Amino acid sequence: MPSKRPHLDSDMASDEAFLDLLKPTYKGKGLTDEIKTAEDKWNLLPAFLKVKGLVKQHLDSFNYFVDVDLKKIIKANEYVLSDVDPEFFLRYTDIRVGYRSRDGRKVLDGSPHECRLRDITYSAPIVVDVEYTRGRKIISHKNLEIGRMPIMLRSNKCMLANANEEQMSVMQECPLDPGGYFIVNGTEKVILVQEQLSKNRIIVEADEKKGLVQASVTSSTHERKSKTYVITKNSKIYLKHNSIAEDIPIVIILKAAGIASDLEILQLVCGNNSQYQDLFAVNFEEAARLEVFTQEQALNYVGRRVKTIRRAGAPKLSQLQEGIEAILTTVIAHITVSDLQFREKALFMTSMTRRVLMTMDNPKMVDDRDYVGNKRLELAGQLMALLFEDLFKNFNSDFKANIDKTLKKRSLTAEYDALLNIQIHSSGLTQGMNRAISTGNWSLKRFKMERAGVTHVLSRLSYISALGMMTRISSQFEKSRKVSGPRALQPSQFGMLCTSDTPEGEACGLVKNLALMTHITTDDEEAPIKRLCFVLGCEDILNIDSATLHEAGNYSIFLNGTLIGTTRYPIEFVHQFRTLRRTGRVSEFISIYSNSHQSSVNIATDGGRICRPLIIVDPETNTSRVKAEHLVKLLNNEWVFDDFLKYGLVEYLDVNEENDSLIALYDKNLEDKSESYTHLEIEPFTVLGAVAGLIPYPHHNQSPRNTYQCAMGKQAIGAIAYNQFKRIDTLLYLMVYPQQPMVKTKTIELIDYDKLPAGQNATVAVMSYSGYDIEDALVLNKASLDRGFGRCQVLKKSTVVLKKYQNHTSDILQGYRKENESGKIIFPHQAIGADGLGEVGLRIENGQIYVNKYVPTNAHETVAATGQMPQQESHREAPSYYRGPEPSYIDQVMCTTSDNDQTVVKVLLRQTRRPELGDKFSSRHGQKGVCGIIVNHQDLPFNDMGVTPDIIMNPHGFPSRMTVGKMIELISGKAGVLNGSLEYGTCFGGSKLEDMSKILVEKGFNYSGKDMLYSGITGECLQAYIFFGPIYYQKLKHMVMDKMHARARGPRAVLTRQPTEGRSRDGGLRLGEMERDCVIAYGASQLLLERLMLSSDAFEVDVCNQCGLMGYHSWCPTCKSSEYVIKMTIPYAAKLLFQELLAMNIAPRLKLGDVFQM
Amino acid sequence: MSSPQREGFSAPSSLSHAAHGQITSKTLGIKYNCAQCGSSFQLSRSDAIRCKECGHRVLYKARTRRMVQFEAR
Repeated sequence: MPSKRPHLDSDMASDEAFLDLLKPTYKGKGLTDEIKTAEDKWNLLPAFLKVKGLVKQHLDSFNYFVDVDLKKIIKANEYVLSDVDPEFFLRYTDIRVGYRSRDGRKVLDGSPHECRLRDITYSAPIVVDVEYTRGRKIISHKNLEIGRMPIMLRSNKCMLANANEEQMSVMQECPLDPGGYFIVNGTEKVILVQEQLSKNRIIVEADEKKGLVQASVTSSTHERKSKTYVITKNSKIYLKHNSIAEDIPIVIILKAAGIASDLEILQLVCGNNSQYQDLFAVNFEEAARLEVFTQEQALNYVGRRVKTIRRAGAPKLSQLQEGIEAILTTVIAHITVSDLQFREKALFMTSMTRRVLMTMDNPKMVDDRDYVGNKRLELAGQLMALLFEDLFKNFNSDFKANIDKTLKKRSLTAEYDALLNIQIHSSGLTQGMNRAISTGNWSLKRFKMERAGVTHVLSRLSYISALGMMTRISSQFEKSRKVSGPRALQPSQFGMLCTSDTPEGEACGLVKNLALMTHITTDDEEAPIKRLCFVLGCEDILNIDSATLHEAGNYSIFLNGTLIGTTRYPIEFVHQFRTLRRTGRVSEFISIYSNSHQSSVNIATDGGRICRPLIIVDPETNTSRVKAEHLVKLLNNEWVFDDFLKYGLVEYLDVNEENDSLIALYDKNLEDKSESYTHLEIEPFTVLGAVAGLIPYPHHNQSPRNTYQCAMGKQAIGAIAYNQFKRIDTLLYLMVYPQQPMVKTKTIELIDYDKLPAGQNATVAVMSYSGYDIEDALVLNKASLDRGFGRCQVLKKSTVVLKKYQNHTSDILQGYRKENESGKIIFPHQAIGADGLGEVGLRIENGQIYVNKYVPTNAHETVAATGQMPQQESHREAPSYYRGPEPSYIDQVMCTTSDNDQTVVKVLLRQTRRPELGDKFSSRHGQKGVCGIIVNHQDLPFNDMGVTPDIIMNPHGFPSRMTVGKMIELISGKAGVLNGSLEYGTCFGGSKLEDMSKILVEKGFNYSGKDMLYSGITGECLQAYIFFGPIYYQKLKHMVMDKMHARARGPRAVLTRQPTEGRSRDGGLRLGEMERDCVIAYGASQLLLERLMLSSDAFEVDVCNQCGLMGYHSWCPTCKSSEYVIKMTIPYAAKLLFQELLAMNIAPRLKLGDVFQM
Repeated sequence: MSSPQREGFSAPSSLSHAAHGQITSKTLGIKYNCAQCGSSFQLSRSDAIRCKECGHRVLYKARTRRMVQFEAR
């Protein structure tokens, strides 16, 4: 890697993304301009986003999996041995993903774009180095391919890694595409971030009403996952575990774990606290009553109660052994025990017990499950690691079974070479991973993990929707539960999770999004940190006297939730540890914090914690450590973000460590010397995520409006990527003339929304007009539409596969057919060419064919069945028809071959749509509306300069919604237009309203943004001044053309003879039971009879009045007579119901009477 | 729509096929462009879908030679 470094640097220099930095002015700042720390510290943010954040956590996690975790998995499953031949072994020595050819380029199957087009998987080979025995010799073999691994785009194994803009365009990729997803069978799949309760940590919960307290820990190791509880029952404490049949009194389990003396138990659990001692004393009585005094007795007691699931053939264990086994492997499984040294495990149990006691004494000492510090985020890499390990184990066991089978045969002619068999199983690995990612079902038997919906198709509706998907976090809580806790906004999510971006409805609050400046940690080595703690004066838990453990002033040190030692100087310890981290001796993502309630110091090195960078405040001077000169270095491109970490100016804090610090929001807060601030916020607008960052002046809006906008911003039509015209997606909406917003935010620039915008700056007049603008409807200017306002393109793909069948027949294409007399091409074939495919560029109308496919009629006859090859191939028409209310144009026709050598034809159809009545638009403030009327230019109001609005919005939209941000956007936008500048509406900042008003006044406008308008109809001056200016409007994907539907007569379902349902099947519009109730209530029963039966569903049946069942042809088959058969009319649906009831053994019998005798 | 002569269509040699309304001549007179090298060439029905120059397997059908009329609104 070091040799590659200079090359990389030169790459970076030529990277276009950095070119901005080299220009004399960068983001409006010249090199010689004065740099003020207070205003310019936000420049750290783009620097941060270059190395971390948004999508980078996916990439980091995947890189970690491929480079580190994969090797660990191999190490854990190193040997393949044989039951038959004890001499045989095969050892994996190394594993790699992807390989490099001689010129240093990564060799993969094809570029990501080719994979998308050809419906194949973007993957790289997994190669291993092995050592194995062949006869008496040990042979080593390198670069053996055992399968293919889907590659995350832009990860370090991807060919797009570190590519500059030019290289990206050669590969037909968009340089702004975030990456972080997989391409499996041509579809882009994202593994969403999963939120979970943290593993291997004690969580204490209490039910105050029932007086129950429980401490639980979920132990997760590579082998197993189990949960251990310490609970109270009748104010006695027990240990509960799934594989122990009955709750074990805590004293007994502690004795079993080797703390035999009651005194020591008391010291470890209660210390000197007499209250705790009183509360705990009952438990000793319980143990004495059960006559358990020694470790052996305790182990026997436990052993008797263990649920044993022994594999067949395993030796039967004595009770004592069972007890030892239980303590060793099942209880608190994440702590590994060597040489039967249970002490660490025992101490973990005592600390759990102590937590329970503390909560019994003071119910406020519980943990909060919803606290973000108690959560861990599981990323693609971790999920892939679980999947790979499972598949690799299967691979090895299959491989072993194969070896055993071969070696069992006594007489081998040649020496057995195990490698001959290895590749047979490689498809299991490849397909297992492909299947899991493409279906989203993670079913791993070892962990009893059965998760569906882990992956989602990357939404390419707009650039923002794709980006928003990469920051999405899904929670494991089920949606039906009616607890508000998990859904509520947590104060601890400040700066970590976006406060606005969550869906409405059932997933509200459960699906979250990352804030702009967050990073998710990957696992770090625990052992060096443990050694470091001992160096820093931590006393090893195994060496200290039990009596001193809970002495006053003595702090316990927990490393990843496990007690490792104590210190008497916690402040000093934490300080020294932090100093080491700030100097870069310890990984920057390791967090340390102290908790005075529990007298503990907690260190976390595990992966999945959310953290964010903050500027360190110098404790002596109470000033920010980041000074102007550092920012100059950053702007001059001498420093990158990591330098700020290296020099101890900035550090990452996770949620728990944030609790240990006092963070100043602004520089000015630091002037208050009475507070001892430890950190300074980089920028307050980073509380919002990428999607909420698009909203201008969000701090002036009512908060639900920002949430609505977060949902709608993802539906806006705009530019999707630079390669949008090269893409052949199932459905693609593109705006014809997208504009960047007049009122931007810093987030917009950071996420490059200004390069791929989705919307247009519309001149809006806030006034009432025509009455076609009630209920949020908008009035659109016809001239604006003519000039391209809101115009969009809809591209639809359809795929046709030309299959090859077993009997050597295959689907074929046929050219157009002509009418016999005139020689004209028949109507359905008018859009296709001589090759049977649509002609590129031609218009295709409803009912025309774009792929004229024929399938063989005898496709399923096998050659063996007929005994000979089919002589004459006969084919049946199976063309693809275009259906739609409006014609389309054939945009592209692509032919290729897929994985298994079948021809794939993709036809892309294009429509250009101008806005019409009913199309949906929205501003960036959760203010959506449909087009209510399109008005001619001359009829619209105009100002003294002749400017007419593009949109007229009804002022009733404002009072109840309270979207003041939208009004300020209008004023800032208007000032920007007049001033020739782009204004900012950044959250908690942005262009000030006062300044904007000043510009308006300077340019001769009213300070409040109101203009005098003249009526376009009468020419008179309007009675009121009109709030008039540009607002950024988005066109949403919901368009009338895709939804309009009407039907008089049409298809019916075969079974029920009811009209079909849904627009796609040309279905009817249901007159439902509530509508029917209305007619009944009105008393128009004859109308119902006529409409619902006589004119639609009438069916004549022959009813036998003797048996009550239906017959036919005036004959009752049940009674074998026609005597009592009567013809009558009932709805077909009723007849069907009777017959279905008969089929399920219920006989509905009709009894007929005379109407007039009643 | 326009007449087929305009699009450079070569009439099938055997009349019997024409009577069937099927065309089985080798090349159909339709050009395909390679997605990688951009070369243009004709393919016959039996040909594998591959660029004749570079062997790339993604091909685009070339734009029609028939007249297309747009309604500019």
